[in-house]
Amino acid sequence: MIEIDVRLPLAPFRLEVRCSLTANVTALVGRSGSGKTSLVESIAGLRRAQGRIVIDDTTLLDSDRGIDLPPESRGIGYVPQDAALFPHLRVAENIRFGGSGRERFDSLVEALELAPLLERASASLSGGERQRVALARALMTRPRLLLLDEPLASIDQPLRERILLYLRRVRDLGIPMIYVTHQPFEALALSSWCVVLRDGRVAADGPSRAVLADPAVAGNVENVFEVSDPHHDPALGITRVTTGGGLALVLPYDQVAEARFPLVVRISADDVVVFGEKPSAISSRNVFEGTVASLRASEGIVDLTVTTPEPLSVRITRAAAEDLSLVEGATIWLALRSRAFRIVG
Amino acid sequence: MPHILLFTLTIAAISTLCIAPIALALAAWSWRAGTRGMVVDALGALPLVLPPTAVGFMLLEILSRRSPIGGFLERIGVQVLFTPKAVVLACAVMSFPLMFTAFRVAIETSDRRFFDVARTLGASPARAFVRVTLPLAWRGLLSGMILSFCRSLGEFGATILIAGNIPGRTQTLALAIYDRVQNGTEREALVLVAWVVGMAWVLVAISSVLIAQQRRRLAA
Repeated sequence: MIEIDVRLPLAPFRLEVRCSLTANVTALVGRSGSGKTSLVESIAGLRRAQGRIVIDDTTLLDSDRGIDLPPESRGIGYVPQDAALFPHLRVAENIRFGGSGRERFDSLVEALELAPLLERASASLSGGERQRVALARALMTRPRLLLLDEPLASIDQPLRERILLYLRRVRDLGIPMIYVTHQPFEALALSSWCVVLRDGRVAADGPSRAVLADPAVAGNVENVFEVSDPHHDPALGITRVTTGGGLALVLPYDQVAEARFPLVVRISADDVVVFGEKPSAISSRNVFEGTVASLRASEGIVDLTVTTPEPLSVRITRAAAEDLSLVEGATIWLALRSRAFRIVG
Repeated sequence: MPHILLFTLTIAAISTLCIAPIALALAAWSWRAGTRGMVVDALGALPLVLPPTAVGFMLLEILSRRSPIGGFLERIGVQVLFTPKAVVLACAVMSFPLMFTAFRVAIETSDRRFFDVARTLGASPARAFVRVTLPLAWRGLLSGMILSFCRSLGEFGATILIAGNIPGRTQTLALAIYDRVQNGTEREALVLVAWVVGMAWVLVAISSVLIAQQRRRLAA
């Protein structure tokens, strides 16, 4: 349980964030300049904020009681956006800066596949390698909370996949994480709870899928799935996978043949086609029957949430919705083009 | 002539080594203190803008037997004025601003984020400074020490007031040049000038290379 009530003057606004986090991974989502980094720096103790921050039973900050633990006493692992590896230390020395436990070091090196990098100078690493080293270094301190500031920013697609895989391994270690991102689909890929910041204030918070299904919050609505159990069929050019919620999907073989599973994929709500009755001849390999669970209309656009084995977000024009006479509870069919799926990582 | 050179180099080295820890401590404190540190910044840079004779006169007053400090030194049998100690003191005070300012810049450009991240990894401010900031700033620090050393080689105004110009006892290179010019032995003065120009040139060039290296490294 993490309780945050932070006030910090920033230009051009004042950061005022109050929220309680119980999820293992919380995504902190917001556009550039919304105060995300300032908030995580306040939690880490790198900015002198006013208010109260409590993690489980430990008070890190309580301005009323004069408590403001220095960063070294907070027990918080922090991975800044550019990793900030110490340039004068080799990779192994960077990792050991966080702690000297031999077993911990070996297990992190193995989990994050760092053995080939240990003797390298940190300046010689690629963006993805830097992130992994910074992650291991932060985890060496056995933190009570891990703060990740946009770890996938400025990392290209093939590397994103790997980093996300490592982040999922870290998530599975059970260390609470706050994951900062400006990409809603990244938030969906990792987190179960989401806090949206706008101009230094909480614009929305709640379960990630619910919060980020709101177009007003997320802008473009995306469907994000963690898929596993791949069955490749190179001759037909497809790979059959299953989502965590039990939805069977078909993905293009050429795009996922080299991928590591479980894999996170996304498809925009705009790329889902709606049929009023079961389509008989269609090129799309992903056709699902579903029930309209909710329907929200705004400015010529209708956003639907459709219940299939996994809830799917769909965005169509108002004209299409009226033609199909869509109402809540209606049965419809959805087609998801395989090639419209994008790999998150 | 070689003994003048050796004496000057020794004095400059001792002065540089004496003020380095003080300059480092003050620069580190001022860096951590943020805007409050500006008071110390201004104080540290003061001898740079004051006339050396003004600084020399202040030191003379402080060390005279009428003052509490001068009186105390006399009671414990320490003679400073018009001894090599006074030369070191004059050099130290006059070259301190260069070293302090260079240290301040070197620490500032070492990128505070590394210091901050080190603290989130459990390092106390002192440990983070020693293990992260100092190794990243060492080129700039060394450059500051070299500049300060060079300033000591050329120190004149404050030295002549508190140490005099006693050949074989307190006469440094700068004082010896003045002496030779006064006595009309310009050829000797010229040789001394050539020495000091040569040394300063090499040292300032090394200092510039170090600063450029530090900038490049941190930019990378």
